Amino acid sequence: MLELADYTFYFLALVTLVGGIAVITAQNPIYSALWLALTMVSVAGVFVSLDAWFVAGVQLIVYAGAVMVLFVMVIMLFDLRRETNAFSRGMVSGFLKLASAGIFLGLIGGSIYNSAETVFAPPPAELEKTADATKALANTLFTKYIFSFEVIGVLLLVIAIGAVTLSRVQGGTHAKHD
Amino acid sequence: MGVDAFEIVINVVKLLVIFLMMIQAVPILVWVERRGSAFIQNRFGPNRVGPLGLLQLLADAVKFLFKEEFLPRKAVRFLYYAAPVMALVPGALALAAIPLGPPIEVSAFELFGQRWGPYVFKLQGYDIGVGIVFILGVSSLGAYGLLMAGWGSASKYSLLGALRASAQMISYELALGLSLVGILLVYGTFNFYEIIAQQQGPLSFSWFGREVVGPWWLPNWGVFYNPVGMILFAASTFAEANRLPFDLPEAEGELVAGFHTEYGGFKMLMFYIGEYGHMIVASSLLAIFYFGGYGIPGLPVEVLEAKIAAGTSLGPTGVSVLTSVVSHLALLVKLGLFLWIFIWVRWTLPRFRYDQLMDLGWKSMLPWALANVVVTAVWLLLANSK
Amino acid sequence: MNALFAVILLAIIVVTFGALLLVVSGMLGPKRQPSPVKDMPYESGLPGQETKDTKVSVKFYLTAILFIIFDIEIVFMYPWAVTYLDSVKAGTGGYLLGAMGIFIALFVIGLIWEIKSKALEWD
Repeated sequence: MLELADYTFYFLALVTLVGGIAVITAQNPIYSALWLALTMVSVAGVFVSLDAWFVAGVQLIVYAGAVMVLFVMVIMLFDLRRETNAFSRGMVSGFLKLASAGIFLGLIGGSIYNSAETVFAPPPAELEKTADATKALANTLFTKYIFSFEVIGVLLLVIAIGAVTLSRVQGGTHAKHD
Repeated sequence: MGVDAFEIVINVVKLLVIFLMMIQAVPILVWVERRGSAFIQNRFGPNRVGPLGLLQLLADAVKFLFKEEFLPRKAVRFLYYAAPVMALVPGALALAAIPLGPPIEVSAFELFGQRWGPYVFKLQGYDIGVGIVFILGVSSLGAYGLLMAGWGSASKYSLLGALRASAQMISYELALGLSLVGILLVYGTFNFYEIIAQQQGPLSFSWFGREVVGPWWLPNWGVFYNPVGMILFAASTFAEANRLPFDLPEAEGELVAGFHTEYGGFKMLMFYIGEYGHMIVASSLLAIFYFGGYGIPGLPVEVLEAKIAAGTSLGPTGVSVLTSVVSHLALLVKLGLFLWIFIWVRWTLPRFRYDQLMDLGWKSMLPWALANVVVTAVWLLLANSK
Repeated sequence: MNALFAVILLAIIVVTFGALLLVVSGMLGPKRQPSPVKDMPYESGLPGQETKDTKVSVKFYLTAILFIIFDIEIVFMYPWAVTYLDSVKAGTGGYLLGAMGIFIALFVIGLIWEIKSKALEWD
């Protein structure tokens, strides 16, 4: 007998998959970005169904915002008269797409293969309450993974500087039209 | 099966009621805003339809319903129509996660020859353990409605208004998120009920190993621990809700009406419902984090419940219901006050220029919020050390 | 009933309500009578300008990117803030403050750099 929680999960899984497929099949990049937003939101829902409330919230805050960046970028960078042809269909880019999809697939497969035991193990009993789960997350993050945490800080700093520097470059799509 | 179905029906009704509350609040708020603006500007405002002009919005709604459909040339049809619907979603989802009163405890009873309960009936659409993170996440979806409207209308004013609006929203979301870190440090939980429970009773904190307790009438409110955070939070919610002095996205002088330039009739009203929903959520968060939520100063919820139990001859369920209603009214009073401040500020402060707005967000409020976090953390460390 | 189901349900209710309003107001209103002038995007008397000719400042994009970066840093502060009081009482508050102190220092360096490099100037 399927329970309500199961139906919820299957619904979210369906939305995630449909959204994900629509992201790459949509002709218009704007719709593509919107489908991506929907996919991100339903992935957040899947996190919730795993009782990972905090991760779900972070997924919403960070990824929903990230997709908005994409959205703004699409508005800015694409020649809107030919927006439907904005995705190039050449041989090189097709090969690059396939290659990056393959690399990503390998990454996912490898990480699942290497962490199968932890992924499929039942969650520890003490993590059942929401508040405790977040605190346990914090305790692990700030003790065991403290070095990675500080490195993330450095990484974000580098990204910020890089973004500013890139936006200053003259020429390209944003050369001055006077 | 029967009990399950009963629970689902109750929850659906609760969701519907909370959503309708938000919709219902909008005509009242619009009326207050128009009459209040008129009062501040020494004129009459809408006073013809019904007593004190209260039915004006009903008349407006009917008029809105009978407006001709309009679709601008070159508009992206789906986005143009989806944007106002999307504008409703974040406010409604966030509001349903906010506790509007202490939970009602219904003791077990018999009905239709079946045993029911005991139940705990929460005055809340759904109880989410990490309420704050959920609300922040949902509100960050608000920018999509604006961008969809701006893009879908295919008008340069709409597009520029939408881009300005979203740039402003995300800039102030940083200050908003950081100002909440201060309050999280003080309370150490994401749960709204626990945050409110910690604000009951008189002001009390530990000061270098000593326990300090204030007079009974001074409530243990968050605003006393984090005044800078309160100011930053309030200011950024004004920006998030696109209210004056931060209403650059709809600066009439430059952008006609911003992202809803091409909208009319009920579609525009839906944007208004979204905006007022934002204001209601912001005001209730302000009440919960900094002003004791549904608590009454000098009268903690448990004391109130004991007094009601002593003063009336109601059963435990009745006492619980009455306590919840009284506490809910206390929250409504605070809400009303904050919403009035939203309207009041509109006619008190002039609008910022766009560069001033971004400067304020990134160069003043963000550093202040960071300083607030650091100072709060150091203070907690020092004050709790022995 | 779990909270997730309630959230999805409310989202569906809201969207249905909004769509219904659109349909109802479309049916009640007068029949649409399009005309080339009426359907033009709003402009104050001049011939309307299309969106595609509107140049968008790169600053919006930069703001969005910087927002994401700082937002991720702030999100990391939430679990820290929630556990901080507990560990202060357990006596490890100094360590936690130091750990976050380095992170906040990096944050501040980034912010100062953005301000100094005039990336946040609007003209």
